[in-house]
Amino acid sequence: MGLNDQGGLPVHAGAGAPQGGIFSGAPSFLTTRVDAVVNWARENSLWPMPFGTACCAIEMMATAATRYDLARFGMERMSFSPRQADLLICAGRVTYKMAPVIRRIWEQMPEPKWAISMGACASSGGVFDVYSMVQGIDTIIPVDVYVPGCPPRPEGLMYGILLVQEKIRNSQPTSRREWKAADALPEGGSVLPDEVVDHLTAPFGNSTRQNRPSGLVSTGAVVRASDRRP
Amino acid sequence: MANDSFKKGLEGLDAGAAGSPQEEPGVPPQAGELPAHPSIEALREEFGDAVLRHEVVAGDEHIVYVPPQRARDVLAWLKDAPGHQYDFLQDLTAIDWGNGRSIQVVYQLWSTRSKLNLRVKVELPLDSLEIDTVYYLWRAADWLEREVFDMFGVVFTGHPDLRRILMPYNYAEGHPLRKDFPLRGRFSRAEQTRRSLSMQTEDHYSPRELEIAHVLGQTLPTPFDEAGSADQQGQFGGMGGAG
Repeated sequence: MGLNDQGGLPVHAGAGAPQGGIFSGAPSFLTTRVDAVVNWARENSLWPMPFGTACCAIEMMATAATRYDLARFGMERMSFSPRQADLLICAGRVTYKMAPVIRRIWEQMPEPKWAISMGACASSGGVFDVYSMVQGIDTIIPVDVYVPGCPPRPEGLMYGILLVQEKIRNSQPTSRREWKAADALPEGGSVLPDEVVDHLTAPFGNSTRQNRPSGLVSTGAVVRASDRRP
Repeated sequence: MANDSFKKGLEGLDAGAAGSPQEEPGVPPQAGELPAHPSIEALREEFGDAVLRHEVVAGDEHIVYVPPQRARDVLAWLKDAPGHQYDFLQDLTAIDWGNGRSIQVVYQLWSTRSKLNLRVKVELPLDSLEIDTVYYLWRAADWLEREVFDMFGVVFTGHPDLRRILMPYNYAEGHPLRKDFPLRGRFSRAEQTRRSLSMQTEDHYSPRELEIAHVLGQTLPTPFDEAGSADQQGQFGGMGGAG
């Protein structure tokens, strides 16, 4: 058993296979696991769907350009159609007005699919802890890898992509169980429970700390006790 | 020569800021010292008491305050009166000064004919945020008035398509640029997320915004129908938003 150069595909050469390889015309064969072959193919031909909304998108473009050359990792083709993409790269801030759009794009992408949340704004709302901004796209879609930075350098995004590839490498595509959780996005709701959304996106006591006046909260919204004005 | 200037620069460095020649502290120019704005007197003659106040800020920025009931007449006159002809609405915005004070609607005008700037302000008390639209004077007011409506809640009566432009159509937390608006909004994040994900965006884009208005043969509201500019609208992509 040996590992080839393409990221850990375990390969058994057939017993008694003659020297010269599969192109020599001589009968020869390889044995491996289906999971390994499928993962090897998937991880090395990801088609990213770029969802660039802000300055992170500039770094994403730089990553795809000649100096950093995303094509080295099998991402020859940036897919501007979600139906031919399997890796969503959300680069930049997402507003609540944009949230249904990114949810729709995610739903249009065929399985299997992965998502990278690139930068502070996509991951947590960043400095935009305001009325109009989604506080982390993991409340909208399931995220596989978060890339920190404001914006992250191309190396950072590439490391995130390598982590996605590692995740793919360690997955079991022949097991149906792995994809069931991803299939079940709640209709018109967050992927997280309300309490978790509120908890994750609660103010952290920074300079913009602001108490939400409890009298103005309507529609039965969940407000943490610490957010209520005394 | 080059050496001299280099030496001079070094000396200046040594002397520091104190060595540089002190300028006399600037005296803000008074309105009376500048050439009078030709439109102000003309407005006073034409409208009399409707010119509530006249201010000059930042040297030569002239501001005229008019009551909301007369605003449309004053602006229409400014647009068409010979010698003034403010044919370009540079900006239409609003200011909320907070503490229950009136919201100011600001019209920033520019005349390409007489090369004049003029700012017209209208003060609207918080309990009657209503003013006539200037959509039919300057088409530029279309989206600007929608923005002021969205952000401040000022209702522009007569606007053909007054709806939110920046915030989502199902936004129910008020008008975000008002001073009494909490920074993070009024609902919890969970509720905000739920509302945004329940939007059906397709239902709320007009055909005109989808750039197929000219295909459908849609026409603009009066008086632009009569001017025959409906074709022109299609030529520019039909993004007028007046569906």
